[in-house]
Amino acid sequence: MTMHGYLALTRTEFRLFRREPFSVVFVLAFPLMMMVLLAAVFGNNRADAGKIQNGMLMWRGVTPANYYTAASVAVIVAALGLMTLPITLASYRQRGILRRFRASSVSASTLVGAQLTVAFVTFVAGTLVLAIVARFAYHAALPRDVLGVIVALLAGTAAFGAIGLLLATVIRTSRSAQGIGLMLFFVLWLISGTAPPRAVLPAGLRDAGSFLPLTHLVTAVQNAWFGFGWAGTDLAVLTAYAIAAGVPALWLFRRY
Amino acid sequence: MGVITVDHLRKTYRRVVAVDDLSFDVEAGEIFGVLGPNGAGKTTTVECVQGLRRPDGGTIRVLGLDPASQAEQLRQRIGSQLQDSSLPGRLRVAEAIELFAAFARHPVDRDELIARWRLGGQRAQAFDTLSGGQRQRLFIALAFVNSPEVVFLDELTQGLDPQARRATWELIREIRQGGTTVVLVTHFMDEAEHLCDRVAVVDRGRVVALDTPQRLIDGLGLPSVVRFTTPEPDLGWLEKLDVVQSMARHGDAAEIRGTGPVLALVASELVAHGIVPLDLRVERPTVEDAFLALTGRDVRG
Repeated sequence: MTMHGYLALTRTEFRLFRREPFSVVFVLAFPLMMMVLLAAVFGNNRADAGKIQNGMLMWRGVTPANYYTAASVAVIVAALGLMTLPITLASYRQRGILRRFRASSVSASTLVGAQLTVAFVTFVAGTLVLAIVARFAYHAALPRDVLGVIVALLAGTAAFGAIGLLLATVIRTSRSAQGIGLMLFFVLWLISGTAPPRAVLPAGLRDAGSFLPLTHLVTAVQNAWFGFGWAGTDLAVLTAYAIAAGVPALWLFRRY
Repeated sequence: MGVITVDHLRKTYRRVVAVDDLSFDVEAGEIFGVLGPNGAGKTTTVECVQGLRRPDGGTIRVLGLDPASQAEQLRQRIGSQLQDSSLPGRLRVAEAIELFAAFARHPVDRDELIARWRLGGQRAQAFDTLSGGQRQRLFIALAFVNSPEVVFLDELTQGLDPQARRATWELIREIRQGGTTVVLVTHFMDEAEHLCDRVAVVDRGRVVALDTPQRLIDGLGLPSVVRFTTPEPDLGWLEKLDVVQSMARHGDAAEIRGTGPVLALVASELVAHGIVPLDLRVERPTVEDAFLALTGRDVRG
């Protein structure tokens, strides 16, 4: 992997990401729209904040607007990892773009590195947009612990990047990647605390959600955002996901 | 010592034998053709040679390297135009060339490359909006972006109009003048005949003949066809010539098949009998005829 090639491919992937309406809609517009809608649905009323349901603080002790601002950051990560990444790589495989790259000395590590770089920069940019919109629209809090948010985003990039790459190695066409990606995304989105707060979910769904990476990413981002301190366990679970999905994915993808 | 040595190459896909004991050498600076019907194993062979597929048996050396284990070193020194490959739809022509040049250890001048392959008008055009011929020219340009010592062109002129084909052949000859070895996979007979110094005819995963296009034809002793028209009803005396194999008449038209200097001998015999047809002409056997004789089937399978 040469630095020159890596930078050129990263620049190219940025251009292509920007020109692809599907990724811009799902990765940037959808989380923003959901944040605005969910915050509007549940109001920005401090009185709701301490409401107790099923024995849990419904909004983790913050207002819904604050809750959804931080949670929507995790939605960006999940959308990119579960949809954009596998769809892009599956279509690269299907259309013979991977063969073209391989014949021109583009290594698997360069390709994966460029994709993950684009993903991480997109997460940071999306987070800034969400934070600014929420700040002006609802006076939501800006992140208390910026470094903590960046660390959570890095762990999310690793976990969802690995999952996306694993999906891309087992799904052969971009059409099936779209179907499977959308399904996974919406299941995770509904039960990971990104749509309804987990406290209102029935116990079975809540238990299922506690195994899912998005749940842990939401907690990791929120803890840093609200200044609750780093979520060590959640970061560890995300790292475990990154290793469990990433090792087989890279092994399968090495000769892509 | 050849630039490429392929020795007893074998490649199977599950139970299907794509390449079965195939051998050939390519010399430095030649244009070497791999000719064969669809499914003959041409593409599989050159993909193994380029290190894009791992052979099941046999040995390959390209520029002294083993493509299976030294693919990275090899790819810096070879150029590839692949069949059935593409680029991201929204990637623009100049961006594609810039991207691939970034992976080359010795990139060529990008503007010169764009001008040579007549892509100047398409610089800012997205790959998806290019015509078939423009895409093909872009892929050929990409094959040359790293100043390759050996270049592999799989179906070089697929999708090009006749004028662009001729222009492309001319450019390939020019490139060979510069010392680059060219391996050309094709099912176009005229392309093999006009462009290649030597041709390997591949059928059912084996090399069935390997020679210069002319010697391939000559070696098979295929007949030439002499045609002319004359109102003279009886031409039986022409069949007595040694070189004539057969004669057919369709009204005034005569069609004579024969080998060797059949045209000259038929012409002098006609003149001796006071017959001087204006439309006397000969069709020499082509690579296509040789191919049909060798494989017993049409090039398109």
